Amino acid sequence: MNVIIRICLAIIMVCMLGACGFKDIDKRFFVVALGIDQSENEKKPYRITLQLAIPSPKIEPGASKTQIETIDAPSIAEGVRMLKAYVDKEIDFGHCKIFIIGEKVANSDYQGALEWMTRRRDIQSVANIAIGKPDAESLLKVKPLSERYPGNTLFLSFGADGTESSYTYVESLSDFSRRASEEGLDPLMPIIKKDNQESFIINKTALLDKKRVKLVLNPSEAQLYNQLANDFTKSSMHGMFEGLDLVVAITEIHSKFRIGKQNGEDTITMDVKMKVVFEEAPKDLYSAQWRSVEEDLNKEYAKSCVKLLRKIQKAGVDPIGFGLRYRATHPGSDAFKKWESLYPTIKFVVRANIIIEGTGLIK
Amino acid sequence: MNRYVFYNFIMVSFINLLLFVPHILIEARFNGAVSSMIVGTVIGTILVYMYTSAMARYPGKGLPEILKQHFPQWLVSICMFCSAVMWWFATSIVVVAYAILINRFFNPDANSIIILSMLIIACGYAATRSTLSVMFVLEIGLIVNAPVIIFILFKAVRSTQLNFDSIRVVANYVTAMPTLSAVAAASFIFTGYINLSLFNRLLPPNFRFKFRWVYPVFGITIMLITFFVPIGFHGTEAVNQYTYIWSVTADSLIMQYGFIERVLFLFLIVFLNLTLVYTMCGWHQAMEFIKCCFRNYKPEIDSPKTPVANYVIVGIFAMLTMLYLVLTNEKINMFITSYWLVARMFVEFIIVLTVFVLSRRRPKTT
Amino acid sequence: MNERLRLLFAEAIDMKFEHLQNSEMSIEIAYIAPLCEENKINDFIIVPFTKDAYPFQSQLDTNPEYRQVEDIAKWQELLLRGHVLIQANQIIYAFDASRIISIENPQTQVESAIQGPQLALSEDLNISLNLIRSMYPSPDLSVEEHTIGSLSKTPILALFDQRRVDPSVLDTVRDKLTSINVEMLHAAGELEKLLVGKRKHLFPTLLITERPDRISKAISKGKVVILLKGNMFAIILPATFFDFMHAMEDDYDAYWMTRFLIFLRYTSIVLTITLPALYISVVSYNPEVFRVQLAFSIAGSRSGVPYPSFVEVFIMLFMIETLIEASIRLPRYIGSTATTVGGLILGQAAQQAGLVSSIMIIVTSVVAISNFVIPVNSLSFAIRFLKYPLIAVSIFFGITGVAVGLFVYITYLCNLRSFGKPYMRIFGKLRPLEGDIGQVNVE
Repeated sequence: MNVIIRICLAIIMVCMLGACGFKDIDKRFFVVALGIDQSENEKKPYRITLQLAIPSPKIEPGASKTQIETIDAPSIAEGVRMLKAYVDKEIDFGHCKIFIIGEKVANSDYQGALEWMTRRRDIQSVANIAIGKPDAESLLKVKPLSERYPGNTLFLSFGADGTESSYTYVESLSDFSRRASEEGLDPLMPIIKKDNQESFIINKTALLDKKRVKLVLNPSEAQLYNQLANDFTKSSMHGMFEGLDLVVAITEIHSKFRIGKQNGEDTITMDVKMKVVFEEAPKDLYSAQWRSVEEDLNKEYAKSCVKLLRKIQKAGVDPIGFGLRYRATHPGSDAFKKWESLYPTIKFVVRANIIIEGTGLIK
Repeated sequence: MNRYVFYNFIMVSFINLLLFVPHILIEARFNGAVSSMIVGTVIGTILVYMYTSAMARYPGKGLPEILKQHFPQWLVSICMFCSAVMWWFATSIVVVAYAILINRFFNPDANSIIILSMLIIACGYAATRSTLSVMFVLEIGLIVNAPVIIFILFKAVRSTQLNFDSIRVVANYVTAMPTLSAVAAASFIFTGYINLSLFNRLLPPNFRFKFRWVYPVFGITIMLITFFVPIGFHGTEAVNQYTYIWSVTADSLIMQYGFIERVLFLFLIVFLNLTLVYTMCGWHQAMEFIKCCFRNYKPEIDSPKTPVANYVIVGIFAMLTMLYLVLTNEKINMFITSYWLVARMFVEFIIVLTVFVLSRRRPKTT
Repeated sequence: MNERLRLLFAEAIDMKFEHLQNSEMSIEIAYIAPLCEENKINDFIIVPFTKDAYPFQSQLDTNPEYRQVEDIAKWQELLLRGHVLIQANQIIYAFDASRIISIENPQTQVESAIQGPQLALSEDLNISLNLIRSMYPSPDLSVEEHTIGSLSKTPILALFDQRRVDPSVLDTVRDKLTSINVEMLHAAGELEKLLVGKRKHLFPTLLITERPDRISKAISKGKVVILLKGNMFAIILPATFFDFMHAMEDDYDAYWMTRFLIFLRYTSIVLTITLPALYISVVSYNPEVFRVQLAFSIAGSRSGVPYPSFVEVFIMLFMIETLIEASIRLPRYIGSTATTVGGLILGQAAQQAGLVSSIMIIVTSVVAISNFVIPVNSLSFAIRFLKYPLIAVSIFFGITGVAVGLFVYITYLCNLRSFGKPYMRIFGKLRPLEGDIGQVNVE
């Protein structure tokens, strides 16, 4: 009896041996970034670029080594599968945190790429997604000088443990896929550009509808958008007071909006409260009346906000989620239809409330 | 020892995340999920109160012993066999679903049958232990895992990605009429009390159920999180496209400074433990019910030696579970689950009502 | 008498027979010289007899040290236990002159505590009993004597507080003690095996200790303590898993520090069991669990290693286990040298030779060190074994396997009973409280 059990166990063990996915870490090629471009070839419209990490025991600035593989394929999944034949180790997407979509793809239709990403089980939902300009391939070939680990520069640019730039909008895959299908909330993505040296610039944001890019915000607009939509605090604001330049750093910001009627017109009222500290100011500002400075700043800020919101409205996209709020406050399945007819003509009122906390270390 | 009753309740309400309950509710989000949840809460609460007060009159007796007092043996045998099937099914669905889930997220290259066989060997071993041991394992399992689950849920609720507008949009559909499958799914969250059917054997004489208000409060909290957090994360539209909605939701979270960065892995491991504990409890109960089908069986709560019958019965369970995996796939499993949930609700109605009526008929013996 | 004994102990040259005579009477004495203290024989028998200041016969009758022996069959046993047999006026008396060679009041060595009683139990039952009695001066302390071993005839004492002891435990202990049937018994560990009765067991379900404070505390909690002659260890039963994780100092030191230490102990238990298995499963199945930076540095340091991760783990674990074994068995002075040579030089060399990765060295040392944190040795040995099945499972199933393996361990532990008491149970008292679960069958 006992012997039979033991033999059975041994057989089971042997069976298991054949059926497991044992693969050592050094036999895997980690993809650290994936680029999706449009190729010229009609039959193979996708150009897939993989940035593969070459791990090395030495860890020092500039020691990061990567390998770039590019292929044209009829679909992304096929392209990735074909690329396996180009490399010597198993391709692993487990650490792929950056997806770059080429400008051309973003301008035509991104849904195919998005679907592939959400369907694959080994792609993290927390991965970051961005538009590459002019294309993803050339961006992935950049080798930043200070990079210690392969792909680390881009990880750090987007993650919260590295730099936190007020111009960079950080978009995760799960958020993007929510926005790509939600009624009343439209997607947006940061745009990565290559500068002349070996580094990246990420200071523009593209606003998209459910299919393609509709509007690109310039850096100052992108920053303003981050302040309005994300309450991004580590940012600054430019203003004028009696003809003098002022720059303030925002220490606290809260914005909220309301959709309702004002004077018979449909209006979106936005309240922005912020606390600021001066970074650049005329010398004698400390003794001046802060109240009037605040009012000037308020006016100017409100003006630029309304300008931005108008611009977004004109492009016909809704990244802040006004439409979703409308649906939330107006029950009924036809709410979104009503909203769609309402949005192009809706009025914006921005009420800024800026509180000056101090003038920095000097008067 | 009220805490052992709580453990059962907490375990079942957590396990709903795996049992397609959120999936069924979210599918019906525009046509009756919210109102079904309200109805489900009411049903669940009433059943909890009825069953606990009925069971309190039979200290130290499980469902089979109670039935044996009032009904002939053949009827008890049939009832016990049916409930054994119910309990076996409840757990087998979960363990099969989890084997597939592991196959998807942890070992994509491995064979799901082999993963399942490992899971059921572990569960089978645990289920054949004595009732008392099963309770101890349940206690340890929950004390280790529940804080992590609560942490994940809390992190999800506090996340900035959670969009309250989407939640409000869905909550506005409260006026839609409830549907049967959604009510069944919602009431499942409250169904942990039904494990008293067996574990009442362990409760000492002069036992009192205390803090019964905790059950509905806890159940409602878990239910709201179960349903609304994925909607807040994935929006009202995209939420329906995922097969493993909570795994994807957990994957959307990140622990910036944790040792493991991705919450998904923490989530999967913790729920793996919970699945094992749940399967152990379910199989153990089903096994005991089957043993009660025989006339001369004497219930024992802590036998020093494991009876051979335990191994035989659980072995059969394990074989059937393997068969279930082979014969079904994700889609059929999901489909069967939604029907099973409805069937379960009605069976529970019958059990609770029977026991309740029996307990009222009997004069109080104090 | 002597004639008869001469026949019985024909081959024993250490048997002494004397015939003494004074003015009044003549006696015969017989004893086994190495077992007896010559001084005692001189002081109590030979000197008073030859001096003849006081009639020796009345001395024999009044002093209870001289016991009258009626049964001839007992002679042999008495002699072997170090008694002197005296024949006076056709009556046989036995006088206990036994000499027990033992370490006098040894210091605690196996379980040392910095602040706390430093004396350990003695190999002499009387001294041990003295220690325990003085620490537990209560009339309720009962002592029962048993003898085990058909050849060794080892005396055994069972101590318990007769008011607090759990009667069901006491009954099983008595049952077991009377039913044990062996020839020789010398060590507490041997007795433990006999008491547990299972042929293959993984965890110790009886606590073996040398500390009298632990013993007196256990008695006050209603446990049974078994002392063994010629052994400075006592057995405490029933024992739970948490008793093994409890160092006596936890009761003596500051509250928060000891809570932290207890937390540390449980963490290190988890680490020492799971770490090698987790290393395998993360490196070979789910490298995405790590942070990306860590993953790359592991991949980098492993890139020179030709073997799969589990071979690497086996190499390192083999080395560390042999090291531990060697340093336990070696004399104390060489022991530390062995550790230095092995730990420092081999580890470094193995990594430079590209046999193992540098992360693996860290893993191995964490595993070894956290294993030593466990206060009671027998559990520490059991835990040392536990990591190997997990490694085996992790080779096939990765992280899932480790989690399932841990679940099975917990189930096994919860299923264990130490003399009918649950071995592992959180928040459970050893003696079930009023209203605890599982009391129904008792009524």
